[in-house]
Amino acid sequence: MSVQTLLELVLGGISLGGIYALMSLALSLALATTNMLNVAHGAFLVMGAALSTFLLRHTRLPWPAGLALFIGFCALVGWLFERVCVRPLLGRAPDRALVGSILITFGFALTFEAALGYYWAKFVDPQPTFSLPVAMPPFALFGVSLSGTRLAILAFVGVAVLLFHLFLTRTPMGKMARALAQDYDGALVLGINPQAVSAAIFTLGILATALSGLFFILASPLGPHDGLRLTLIAMTVIVIGGVGSLPGVLAGGVLLGLGDVFTAFLVGAVWSPVTYVLVFFVVLLLRPEGLAGIRHT
Amino acid sequence: MTPAARGPRQWRGLAIGVIAAGVLLALPGLLTRDLVTALFFAFTFAALALNYDLLGGFLGYLNLGQGTFFGLGAYATFILAKELPAIVARFGLLALAAFAVLAGAITALLAVMVSYPLFRLRGAYFAMGTFGLFLLVRQLTLNLDRLTAGSFGIYLPSGDYVDQRLAYTLMLGLAGASLAINSVISRTRLGIAFHAIRESERAASAIGVDLFRCKQIALVISAIPSALAGCVFGLHFGYVDLESVLGIDKTLFPVIMAMLGGTGLVWGPVVGVALIRVIDVGLKNYLTLPVPALVVYGLILMVIGLFKPEGILAGLGKGR
Repeated sequence: MSVQTLLELVLGGISLGGIYALMSLALSLALATTNMLNVAHGAFLVMGAALSTFLLRHTRLPWPAGLALFIGFCALVGWLFERVCVRPLLGRAPDRALVGSILITFGFALTFEAALGYYWAKFVDPQPTFSLPVAMPPFALFGVSLSGTRLAILAFVGVAVLLFHLFLTRTPMGKMARALAQDYDGALVLGINPQAVSAAIFTLGILATALSGLFFILASPLGPHDGLRLTLIAMTVIVIGGVGSLPGVLAGGVLLGLGDVFTAFLVGAVWSPVTYVLVFFVVLLLRPEGLAGIRHT
Repeated sequence: MTPAARGPRQWRGLAIGVIAAGVLLALPGLLTRDLVTALFFAFTFAALALNYDLLGGFLGYLNLGQGTFFGLGAYATFILAKELPAIVARFGLLALAAFAVLAGAITALLAVMVSYPLFRLRGAYFAMGTFGLFLLVRQLTLNLDRLTAGSFGIYLPSGDYVDQRLAYTLMLGLAGASLAINSVISRTRLGIAFHAIRESERAASAIGVDLFRCKQIALVISAIPSALAGCVFGLHFGYVDLESVLGIDKTLFPVIMAMLGGTGLVWGPVVGVALIRVIDVGLKNYLTLPVPALVVYGLILMVIGLFKPEGILAGLGKGR
C-alpha cells in the first residue's frame, strides 16, 4: 500500500466517519434529553439529500437561494416533526415513551420513504438516486494529492461539530438540554421547560442531519430507502460512543468510517456492514457503557 | 390469572379454543387459494409477534431481531436439504421434518450464544443490539454465497413436499403453540418472575429472581417456534432468499403488531396481527388508492402511536 493510497483511505474514512458522527450526535442528543428513539432519523439525512438534489440540480435557482430555501425548509420540518410526533409523548413514563416513539417514528419513516420513492419516480426522475457531483480541485499536501470533495466534507463536519459543542456548552438552551439529559427530574425541579428544549433539539438536530445528507451525496449517492440503514449506523455510533458524549460520538463515528473504508479496500465492500456489527459487539463486550459513556443504572 | 380462578371459566375458554381451532382447520376447504394464503401469512406473523412478545412484552426487552430466528430456521433447513440431496430424495417429507427439527435446535443454540453479549444491554440499546444482530445475519447470508447461494437464494429440487393445506395446518399449529406458550407462562412462577423484571430489575433481583437466567430462557423459548415458522414458510414456497425469509418486514412488523394489539398481554399480538393483516390485504387487493399503500400504512401506525401507544387491548381489563 503506497502512502498515497493510505492517505486517501484515511481521509475517506475520517470524512465518512465525520458525517456519521454528526448525524449520530443529533440522534444521541434527542435520545438523552427526551428518551425518544427516533427510528426516522436516517430518513432526515435522505430528505436532505433529496431536497438538495432537487433544488440544486432540477431547478434553476442560484445556489445561495437554494441553500437558504433548504435551511428554511429543513428547520421547519424539524420543528413540525417535534410538534406532531414528539411533543405528545413528552412526560410519559420512559418505557411508554420509548414504545410510542418507535411506533410513531417507524410509521413516519415508512410513509416518508414510500412517498419520496413514488413521487420522485413519478415527477422528477424515474430512477430515484440523489447525488451532487461537484468537481472540486484536488489539494496537494507534501506531494500527495487529496480529494477536494473529501476535504470540503471534513471542513463542514469540523465546523458543525464545533457549533454543536458551542451550543451545548455556551448557550442557555444547550445547558438546559445537558441538564435534562443528566437528570430529567432534577432539571424539572430547577424549572427547565422540557418542551422548549425538545423543540430546539429536534429543530437543530434535524437541520444538522439534513445538511449532513447534502454533504454525504457529494461523495456517494443515496436512494430513497437508505434511511433505516443510516438510522442503524447512527445507533451503532451512539452505542460505541456512549449517549450524550460528544467526544465519544466523534470517536465512534470515525472508528466506523475508517472500518468501513479499510474493509472495503482490503476485503471488498460487501464486508463493510459486517465490520459495523462486529465493532459494535466487540465494544459492547469490552465496555458496555460505550467508549466515553456514563454507566447508566 | 391466579390459581383460584381455575374452574368453569377456564373450561369455557378451552371449549372456545377447541371450536376455534376446528373452524380454522376446516377453512382451507371453504376459501379461495388467495384467502388461504392470506391466512397463512397471518399465522406466520401471529407466531412471530407472540414469540416477540414473550421477551418484548412480558420482560420489557424489545427484541427487534425476531426475524433473525425466522431466517436462520428457514436457511438452516434449506442448506441441509441442499447439501444432502440424497437423503431428501430417499425420505422426502420425513427428511425435511428432521432437518426442520435440527434447524430449530441450531437456532436455539445460537439464541443461547447471543444471549451473553445481548443481555449486557437494556432499553433502547438492547433493541439496537438485536437489530444489529439481524443485519449481521442478513449480510453474512448475502456474503457467504457458497453456503447460501447469496442473493440468488436456495431452491428446493422440484417435488411438492409441503402443499398449501399442510403448510396452513403446520403454521396454524405453530401460532397456536406460541399462544399456548405465552398463556401458560403468564400463569406460572416464571411468568411472575418475568413480570417482576419488567417492573423493576433491582427489586426482582432483591427478591431472588435470577435476572440473566430468566432473560435467557425467554429468548430461547421465543426463538424455537419462530425458527420452525421460518422452516414451514420456506418449505411452503419451495425457496428461501434474503427478502422472503430475512426481509426487514419479518423482524419489524411482529414488533409493531404486538405493540398495536397490546404488548405484554397474551391476546395483544393476536389482535394486532389480525388488524394489520386486514388493513394490509385490504389496501393491497381491494382498495385502489391514489397514493402508495405503504404511505397509508405508515400513517395508520403514526396515528396509533399518537393516540393509543399502549395498544388496543390495554385498559380494557381483558386479554391477560
